[in-house]
Amino acid sequence: MSAVIPRHRVNVLTGIKSARLIEDPVEYANLIKKAKRPLLVVGPLLLASTADGKILMEYALDIAKACNIPICATAQTKGRIVELGVQPDCVYDTVEIVNALKDPDWQGVKKEGNHDLVMFFGIRSDLGNQGLSTLKHFAPHLKTMTLCKHYFPHANYSLPNFKKDTKWQEFLENLIANLKKGD
Amino acid sequence: MAVAEKKLSKKLEEIHERIKAEVPWEPLGPTPMPEIPDLRQWDMRLLKTYAPFYAPFCDLCCFCTYGKCDLTEGRRGACGIDIATQQARFVLLACLMGCSAHSAHAGHILEFLIEKHGPDKKIDLGGSINIEAPNIRTVVGLKPETLGDLQIALEYVFKEIAHLLDSCHTGQEGSALDYESKALHAGMLDHVGMEVADIAQIVGFNYPTCVADTPLVDMGWGAIDKSKPVILVSGHNPATSTVLIDYLREHNLEDQVEVCGLCCTALETTRYSDKAKIVGPLSRALFFMRAGIADVIMTDEQCIRTDTPQEAAKVGSALIASLDKAMYGLEDATEMDTDEIVRRMVDNKEQFAILDSPKAAEVAVRVAMKIAPQRKKEWLTEEEAIELAKKCTNCGMCEQVCPNLFNIGGGITEVAKGNFDLIRQQFLQCIGCGKCEEECPNNVSIFKIMQTAASMETWKCRAGRGPIMDTEIRNVGAPLTLGTIPGVIALVGCSNYPNIEDIADMVDEFARRKYIVVLTGCAAMVAGMKKDKDGLTVYEKYPPDFDGGGVVNIGSCVANAHISGAAIKIANIFAALPLRGNYEVMADYVLNRVGACGVAWGAYSQKAASIGTGFNRLGVPVVLGPHSSKYRRLFLSRKEEDDWKVMDARKREIVDTVEPAPEHLAYVCETKEKAMPMMAKLCIRRNDTPQGRAIKLNHYISLYRKYIGAGLPEDIHLFVRRDADIPLVYKKEVRAHLQEIGWQPREPIGLPTLIGTYPTKVPVDAVIH
Ligand code: SF4
Ligand code: SF4
Ligand code: SF4
Repeated sequence: MSAVIPRHRVNVLTGIKSARLIEDPVEYANLIKKAKRPLLVVGPLLLASTADGKILMEYALDIAKACNIPICATAQTKGRIVELGVQPDCVYDTVEIVNALKDPDWQGVKKEGNHDLVMFFGIRSDLGNQGLSTLKHFAPHLKTMTLCKHYFPHANYSLPNFKKDTKWQEFLENLIANLKKGD
Repeated sequence: MAVAEKKLSKKLEEIHERIKAEVPWEPLGPTPMPEIPDLRQWDMRLLKTYAPFYAPFCDLCCFCTYGKCDLTEGRRGACGIDIATQQARFVLLACLMGCSAHSAHAGHILEFLIEKHGPDKKIDLGGSINIEAPNIRTVVGLKPETLGDLQIALEYVFKEIAHLLDSCHTGQEGSALDYESKALHAGMLDHVGMEVADIAQIVGFNYPTCVADTPLVDMGWGAIDKSKPVILVSGHNPATSTVLIDYLREHNLEDQVEVCGLCCTALETTRYSDKAKIVGPLSRALFFMRAGIADVIMTDEQCIRTDTPQEAAKVGSALIASLDKAMYGLEDATEMDTDEIVRRMVDNKEQFAILDSPKAAEVAVRVAMKIAPQRKKEWLTEEEAIELAKKCTNCGMCEQVCPNLFNIGGGITEVAKGNFDLIRQQFLQCIGCGKCEEECPNNVSIFKIMQTAASMETWKCRAGRGPIMDTEIRNVGAPLTLGTIPGVIALVGCSNYPNIEDIADMVDEFARRKYIVVLTGCAAMVAGMKKDKDGLTVYEKYPPDFDGGGVVNIGSCVANAHISGAAIKIANIFAALPLRGNYEVMADYVLNRVGACGVAWGAYSQKAASIGTGFNRLGVPVVLGPHSSKYRRLFLSRKEEDDWKVMDARKREIVDTVEPAPEHLAYVCETKEKAMPMMAKLCIRRNDTPQGRAIKLNHYISLYRKYIGAGLPEDIHLFVRRDADIPLVYKKEVRAHLQEIGWQPREPIGLPTLIGTYPTKVPVDAVIH
């Protein structure tokens, strides 16, 4: 069991099963590439910008584009995504998409069957972690992954806590580069 | 079989006796004083569409000495329980705590008032309120005429609580759904308990009733004259604070001593005296105590802080615990000589529990007057704040423990540079838990520094007015059930907000759109804590009427019973359905025909859990803020997959409406922006007339565009039954969209009801008026 302490202590001590911490963008990219029906769920924290003026949502869109991953827009993110020239594949709020995902018979965003890997990006860490807990306990048919700069113990795969935003951005850029490389 | 029937009728006989069934004010329905199984079928019908959604906080259970038990990956505990059922048990426990808090509060007030006035004191809520107790009448089947009658209702609640709590014991209930049914039962009981409490308070303390235009009272620390002795009352139970006001009045001291309140006691006290002031919601409690403005702090019960004695001692405020719920390990001075208590509090700085209200009130005033002149009550200056902030190394420890997850260290670092912008913003988001300061390795006085961020502005809050008048119900009944008043938005509950200003924004948005906006508890206060560009709060900007575009402060937490009561009254007064012992019919009516949506944006407490769950059983959906994902359970539908069949009671046939209306019963939103269109959507009901539906959809679409973005809501097709439902302004666009996706018109339903779609004793005829 990992001994990582999450950035936000409200997420601490979830019990028995906590996320595997992965720091290597290549490993992360491989997990994503291996997935047959991945889904990227984006949240309102991605509406913020980095210090050098890049909208965080652009990272999400790049990741989705690199591997043709469908996007689920939560909260009010749809508007911004459309402004950035992308039509999200579906619009649900966090609890709604989690509720659908936990049903093994749900046919998924593309109606091709439920997703096997769900990536969460930009959701408040307390709400996000609770949603991940739902999937951890009630959706054994899929794996979850987070792309935020903090550790999410209820996920299957999580990034560590990044002290510096620049390090996290570097990770995301590397990840995107690796996803673009193909197999 | 014969024996069982005989037993049942004996039981029923007893119930009939207790509720005075022979008094023929209305025919008696099937479920007076319902017990756990009696409304279970209704619950199961609700839970079929609005299935429980669990988000466990933890993988384990540690309830008994068999544990800890690991409940991951399908494992069961040593007692046999699984993770879902354990979550449901937890929710039931939370609801029981909440329900007990209100009911015990009611019990305490009743005891106090019966001692004063006797059990035969008549209940009279004024000429415009004949249905004085819609929850009690519906659930208990009793029409309470005296304080003594209220006791009968309360005894029923206490008995049910014991049975429900029993079921939480290890090794019993093995079904999450049954635990949820029990939680719904607890929630319903809570509304009975709250109703008892508030009716007793109105009768016993002569609170205003049958007046919409209650006084506007001052709010905010800036409103408090700290040159006078200041007494802070904190909690929910007005038994002591009202006696305190009496004491000041009797001794002509009302203008010489400032009385201010935190949380619901503040709301209660301002219903009693418009000279009293509201400091703010629970989220400002620690901040205000640490500012040291209060000379005496008087605690009562619920939502006070457990560290109040320590915090009071730190800043030299005297402390009196006035209720048995929180005695803090203090010496019980109830029997002690008053002079002696005052002397020891002043000379030795001792703190006491004083459970006799008149004595506690006298001591509070005398101590405050003695110690106030010696105490320094200064607000921190910006220069001092900059000095204090220089200790911060921006290590980030505070952020890690902040429940709102924000970078308080960054705010403090900015203060050290003389920039207060960030800390001001953070103060609006701060829920006042004090975890940051506790964690800080450099002992930065974060709360003190926040004094410079806290606006000295004063605001206005309208004093709580209690029940909605029957006349108002008559006026809004038709427009509400037809949809021309687009809905009732009830902003209730605590102050665990993502941002304190969200509430005022929500009120403004919906009052402007001519919804009826009602508020209780901390939400009722913070609604007034923001001014528009003309310097007006929502209470000054909008009329206080229960009508489209009105903004109504109902009162404290226990006044929530008047909101559920108003929904019941719409069924009873407007639709003329009998309510007596007729809960299922009332709830079915509300679910299908009353477009109301609760919003507990900052819900944190167990009380909020039971209030919300009680609304859910009555068919009122509730939107919760992001923190509430930590309640572990929601009630969500899957709109395109779930069962939206109803009985059309006029045609006697089951119809698939396709309409998810209302879509969810307990739902968490991450942001205000998402919540706004959701609130509008949750006011849609199946019986809306085309005109009403068009109005509702107009708001849904326009809120969606304002807060989410261009285009149409993804689910708009589910809510358009026929072309006439489409709002005029969006006609072209919606038509084009519907055509594109191959939408087909549907027949509207004459009289939608769930009765007849599940096994119940209630005949379909019962819903026809
Ligand atoms: S109550 Fe059941 S699950 Fe919980 S610790 Fe005891 S045996 Fe284990
Ligand atoms: S914990 Fe203290 S020193 Fe560290 S950032 Fe926060 S206020 Fe500054
Ligand atoms: S007191 Fe406010 S800033 Fe500090 S941890 Fe609590 S919510 Fe965060």
